[in-house]
This record gives sequence, structure tokens and C-alpha cells, in this order.
Amino acid sequence: MFIRQTRALICLLLLLSTACGGGADPEGTVYRHAIDGVPGSLDPAHAADVYASTLVVNIFDTLYRYRYLARPYELAPNLAEDFPEVSEDGRVFTIRLRAARFADDPAFADGRGRPVTAADVVFSLRRHFDPATRSQGAWLWRDRIVGLDAWGRDGADPQAEVAGLQALDDRTVRIELTRPYPQLVNTLAMALSAIVPPEAVAHYGREFSVRPVGSGPFQLLSLDETRAVLKPNAHFDREPLDLTAEGFDPDRHGHYGLEALDGRRYPFLDRLEVHFIAEPATRWNSFFSGRDVDNVMLPPEQAVRVLESTHPLVFRPQIERDFQTHVGRETGLVLYGFNMANPEIGYHADPERDRANHALRCAIRDAFDWAARNRVFYQGLGEVFPGVIPPFLDEYEPDLPTESIDHDPALARQRLADHGWTAEQLPVLVYGLESSVERRQMFEQFRAQLAAIGYPPEKIRRAAFGSFGEYHRAIINGQVDLFLLGWTLAYPDAQYSLQLFFGPNAAPGANLFNYANPEFDEAFRRAEPLPQGPERSALYRDLNRLVLDDCAMIGSLTRTRVHLWHPRVRMLPDREVLGGYFLRFVDVQEPPA
Amino acid sequence: MSSLVVQSGRRLRGRLAGEPVGFLALIVVGAYALVACGVWLGWWGSEWSALAGPGWAAPSAEHWLGTNRLGQDILARALAATATAFEIGVLVAVVTTAIGGLAGGLSGYFSDGWPDEVLLWLMGTLDAIPFYLLVAALAFALHGHPWAMHLAMIATFWTTTARLVRAETQRIRRLPFIEAARVAGLLPRSIIVRHILPNTAHILLVQATLVFIAAIKVEVVLSFLGIGTQDSISWGVMIAEGAQDILAGQYGNFVVASLFLFGLVMAFSLFADQLQDSLDPRTQDSRWQPHG
Repeated sequence: MFIRQTRALICLLLLLSTACGGGADPEGTVYRHAIDGVPGSLDPAHAADVYASTLVVNIFDTLYRYRYLARPYELAPNLAEDFPEVSEDGRVFTIRLRAARFADDPAFADGRGRPVTAADVVFSLRRHFDPATRSQGAWLWRDRIVGLDAWGRDGADPQAEVAGLQALDDRTVRIELTRPYPQLVNTLAMALSAIVPPEAVAHYGREFSVRPVGSGPFQLLSLDETRAVLKPNAHFDREPLDLTAEGFDPDRHGHYGLEALDGRRYPFLDRLEVHFIAEPATRWNSFFSGRDVDNVMLPPEQAVRVLESTHPLVFRPQIERDFQTHVGRETGLVLYGFNMANPEIGYHADPERDRANHALRCAIRDAFDWAARNRVFYQGLGEVFPGVIPPFLDEYEPDLPTESIDHDPALARQRLADHGWTAEQLPVLVYGLESSVERRQMFEQFRAQLAAIGYPPEKIRRAAFGSFGEYHRAIINGQVDLFLLGWTLAYPDAQYSLQLFFGPNAAPGANLFNYANPEFDEAFRRAEPLPQGPERSALYRDLNRLVLDDCAMIGSLTRTRVHLWHPRVRMLPDREVLGGYFLRFVDVQEPPA
Repeated sequence: MSSLVVQSGRRLRGRLAGEPVGFLALIVVGAYALVACGVWLGWWGSEWSALAGPGWAAPSAEHWLGTNRLGQDILARALAATATAFEIGVLVAVVTTAIGGLAGGLSGYFSDGWPDEVLLWLMGTLDAIPFYLLVAALAFALHGHPWAMHLAMIATFWTTTARLVRAETQRIRRLPFIEAARVAGLLPRSIIVRHILPNTAHILLVQATLVFIAAIKVEVVLSFLGIGTQDSISWGVMIAEGAQDILAGQYGNFVVASLFLFGLVMAFSLFADQLQDSLDPRTQDSRWQPHG
């Protein structure tokens, strides 16, 4: 009797475990995507980081986007019907919208999402200039759109018209610029420019940041500190996926199983979960166990366990067998900056001291060993390059002299000696860092390399900050003299990284270096209205060299992103430029019943 | 006071001689102290931040315990971290004992008056806050200050010492020799400093050793969390580094720092136990006689 009961119990448990662990997911096709941080807000006006962008571009619509697989990145219409009509002087853009509808939400009168109109586009861009919004994206269009800045300054009256931003009818938007701005379309692809319904903004108030309502392919079901759960937006209706138009190349993409998606309407998932897992070990274990998330972006520390070799990059056979892999460069850079506003290291009124400071900065640059940084912290997977135009851009110069990134302690010592710098005279420098083990180790490496050229270690002082926000504020306030900066290009244009050194952008703007070079500013202004082409590229390269000559920064390095995911998932992950835009094209194969 | 210390020292020596574990613990603590002194004198460990070799090098004649990710010598870092631990442990133990002793003496002597009420309120308030939360909050609020962690620990550790001394003071103040001192016209300050506190020396001594251990452990935890030592090396920092190294299959940093920490805490705990047994009047053959 007892044996029979035990057998029955075991059979029952086996049945239950089969039902739970195998076969189709009761939720339908579910993809669990891991990212390494928590979005601060899902309100597009605050979606300034990659974590927020990952969700925002899938909950909301932007007018433009980038093709899924085409590299270099290629713009494509999204909510816009086509590329804008641009006036001859490059100042007036007319954009037609395609038919789209917001997701159902109690914010709407009858709970049913209404069609998206040109007035929504006008509202979404204008609210960046309403002080109440506290937008993190207004800088993209500041002084660019006729009347928009003044509208914000004059109280942001919702009834008042903005001459340069108008809805001509339900489907047509007219944008008039103060001066040509070729990157305008790029900014209209960013999460910050996503289209929001005024009803939902008014209905939810500040809660809109956690109760987003948009017209994108997904609708938010739940959000907490660990994950966001999304379901398809029933009103989302776009033409089927055209892989050829998206830049599909059988040689590069043939083994990802994407062909099966061609011609199908997206989104393909019944449920999308985005898991926020900051700790690399946890993220890795969650992926590797096969029970939780479906993807991971390889933590550099883990590279030795995953890669057979780094040059050339070869995965271990087990990894190749068990997972899909993709390797790509980030669309950004890592560099060190000097606070040029500090006369101890930056600009000085006394020309002789100014020259000595220049030599000091160059000596610090020569002392720094990028190869060691790359080897120790990026497993040699990064690419070190001179200047701030990263290799993925057309304007990148592979033949640019490399002395600015060469480790040359002898030259550094010579520079110091030539300008009379002795250990006693060298200034105390404050090195700012976010409080983490890795950043502390980077500091120790930096300080040890300076010690090798005779810079007393006690004169390189560490100032640690608990969060990126605090660290950023400290840089803005000039509390640190040396700082490490990661800069991701939100659109594939060198202007986005060169603006870091444009004088009018000085802190609190993007120019955290407080770099002030009239020659640079003049050339930057000349490049601004130019469309992509040889003239603009030449100017960008000149700007890059000016920054290098002034030793205003130490850099740069661009990191390699190694993505792994389970083979049942059909996708090509890419978090660059637009965060997680690709998530709408993800499909999951059902396991056999 | 001096006779008390001499008496306590004799008793301790006698006890330790009969307790090999306690004696061994004392030797281990002495060895750690020697290591710390060597670091302070610049004999070893001063190159803890130098990039001395290749990253994650295996133990060798040059690097006895290998190197970490940056190529820093793990042994040099562990030795320097011993000095850091001793600095913090000794400082926090001494200051905490002084503050706790004085506050406890005052509170116990004036146990019917406002000083006791105020001090009890203060101790109760501090004790009501979860310990690590308070220490972390203070350390965070004073961020950047080189003594932030020390101040945070002192601010929270003195209450236990004060409570113990308060209870002992309440007992002693009712003894005849204190009555006699009061009748002779001695001021309360003199009575507390000259007659009461010396008679709580056994509590203060044991409490100081316990605070020493606690301070080292808290320092390691705070340093592990990134809010501890600012510009020096700590076992907590090494363990935090080790947590990252483990992803790459490197265990040197983690194991060495953990063993150094374990050795000191274990040895000092055993020593503290022995000390407590030796000085606790309840475990003595003869009744503890207060000295007036």
C-alpha cells in the first residue's frame, strides 16, 4: 500500500515537473532580456540612458529609427511615413505621419487608445521646453527650433503657438529651424523624442514615468526594481518585416535563423520581460543556468571562460555549441578628461605657466598606458584609438599618428623636466571616480603609472562618489581635476562626440572638460550646418586634431560588446545607438511538445 | 589603579600559562601586531599599490602569494591591510573605551538625575537604529573625510561599554569606600575618575578587546561595500576585488585576505575570551575586591 502510494506520488511529481519545466510556456512565446542597470524613468523626456531607452523605444514610437541589421547604421522612417521634405535652405522640415494608435489605457476617455496625430508630435517635443517637465533632452533642440526656447521661457502656455513647431493637419508636422541642423532627423530617432499622448501625461502626472502609454509595439504590464513585463500593443500595426530592407546579409546574419521571420508581422512575442541585473556574476549565472534570462552581454571578467582567444576572437567550442554569439564594437568611447578650468592643470593667465600646464597634461597622457588598461579591464578586447572619433564612424582616421595613445614614460619625464616640473612643484590633482571596485582599481593603475614618471602618489587624491549622478555633478562643479568618462553616441555622427569640446557647451553642458579654444569653436560652427560629405568630414578631423594637440583629454578606447543568447531565440541583439529597438523583432522558437 | 593592573596582569599570565589555546592566540595576535609595526616602520608592505608584476601571476619567489588583476603583490597588500586593521582597531577601541567609560561612570553615578536620563536616551536612540545601517549612513554622510569610518564606529560602539560601566558604577557607588569618599568631601568628578573607573578596569579591558575585533570586522565590511578606507588598503577591499576575480577563476586575493582576517579575528576572540575569564570576578577563586 505504502509503495503504491509512493509510486503514485512520484508519478504525480514527474507529471507536474514535466508540465512546469518542459513544453510550451503557458504565457506563450516569452523572451527574457537582461540588461545591466535599472531605468530611472520611462517618460521619454527623461530617457537619457540606455536602460530607459531599451524600454521607451518599444513602448513609444519615434518618428525615425535605424534599420535593424544594416551597418553602418542607416536611418529609416518609423512613425513618419517617409523621410522629411526639407526646404532648400535646410531650415524647414515637413514630416507626414503614418496611421498609428496609442495602446488602450484608462487615461483615454473611453479607455481605448486613440489615433496618433501631428498635435501629439508637437506636444511631445514642446514639453521638453516646459520647465515643469524637467526634460533631460531639451539640449538636443535648444536654440534650434524657431520660437521653442522663448515659448518655454514665457511660461510654456499650452494654448500658445510655437512658430517653428506646428501641426499642419492631423498627419503633418512642420518644423522650422533657426539654422540648418542636419542631425535633426537623428534626434527624432532618439528615445527622448518619442511621442506621448497629452491625456496620459495629464492623467498620470509624475507617475507617467512608471505608467507609460505609447503607440509602440509593446505595452507595459508591470514594472518594479527587478524587471519590466510587457505585452504586445493590440493596436500596433506595421507592414511585415522585410529583412532585405533591414539590411539582412546572408553571410553575416545567415546563422541566426532570422530568415524565418521575413514577411511576418511583428512584434512576435506574447510577452517580453526585461530583467535589470546590475551584478555581472548574477547576470551571468542567470543566463548560464538556462533557467532565467535568455541573453547576456559578456562581463569582461568572464571572457577567459568564454573565449578561446581574444586575437583573433574565438569562442570556446562549448560556447559555440550551446549558444548564439555576436561580437560588435560599441558606438561610443571611454576617455580621461582634464578640468581645463582649473589653473593648476588647465588654462592659466600666465603664458609660461599655461605652456607648463600643457606639458604637464601631455606628460600625464604619455604616462598612461592604454594597452595595460585594455588588457587588464577589457581583456584586450577594446580598441584604442587617438582622439574622439571612434572607428565605427566614416570620419575615423586609421592613419592618425598614435603618439597620443602610446605609453612613453621617458617622454613624459622629459616633458616634465623641460618645463621645470619637480616632484615638489607638481600640483595636487583630484581624481574623481564612481565608488566601485573596478573604478578604484582603475584609479590605482592610473596613480601607479604616474608614480613611474615621478609624480608623487600622495599628490593624486581619490574622490569617490556613490552614484553616477553625484560623480557627474562633481565634474560639473569642478570638484575633480581628472575624470574617466564613457560617452555613447546617440546618433552615428562625429558631431556627437566633438560637441564634448565645444566652448558654449561648457559644464554643466556636455563640455565637461571646460575646453575653450576659439579656433575649435569656429570650426565646429562651420561644420554644424553642413550635410554629410567630404567638407564636413575634413572639418571633423581638424577638430579632432585640435583636441589632441591641446592634450585636453587622454583617449580613447572603444569597447567590444560580446553578446550570447540561447539558440531558441531568433534575434541579433544590439544595445548601441537606440538601446533595445531590436526587441520588437525578437522571436522565440517553441520547444517541442 | 596600577596595583589593579599589576594584579590583573599576574592573574592573566597565570591563566594563560595554564591555557595553551589562549597562549597560542596571544602569540598569533603578537605576530599580527609585529606585522603591523613592520608596515608602520616601512620594513614591508609599503609597496602595496605598486604595479609589481603581471596580472594574476601565480605564487613565485618574487611574489610569494601571487599578484592581483593589476599586478599588485597580494602579500604586500595583505600585510599593509594588517596595519590598516590595527590602526582602526586600536584607535576605535581606545577612544570608545574612554568615551564609554566616562559616559557610563557619569550615568551610573548620577543614576537618579538628569545626566543619566540624557545619556540613557542617547544610548537608547543610537542602539535602536540598526547597527550597520547607522555606521554606513554616518560613513556615507562624512564621505571623503579620512576619519569618517573611525568616527562612525566610535559614535556607535561606545554605548555598550557605557551600559556595562553604568551598571558596575551603580553597584560600586553603594559600597562603603565610595560613601566614605563622599563624606570626606570629594567632588563627584574625583570620585568617578579616581575611585570608580579604576574599579571598572576589568570591564573596560575586556570591552576594549571586543571593540577592537568588532572595529576590524566592521572596517572590512564597510571597505567591501566601498564606504570604508579611503586611500589605503584593507582586507575588505581585497575581498571585494576577489569577488570580481572569482568570475575569471582567480581566487588568490579572496583566499589570502579572508585567511588574514580569519586568523586575526579568531586569535583575538580567543584571547578576549581568556582575558574575560581571567578578569571576571565571578570566575575568580576569591571574591573581587574593589580598590578604593
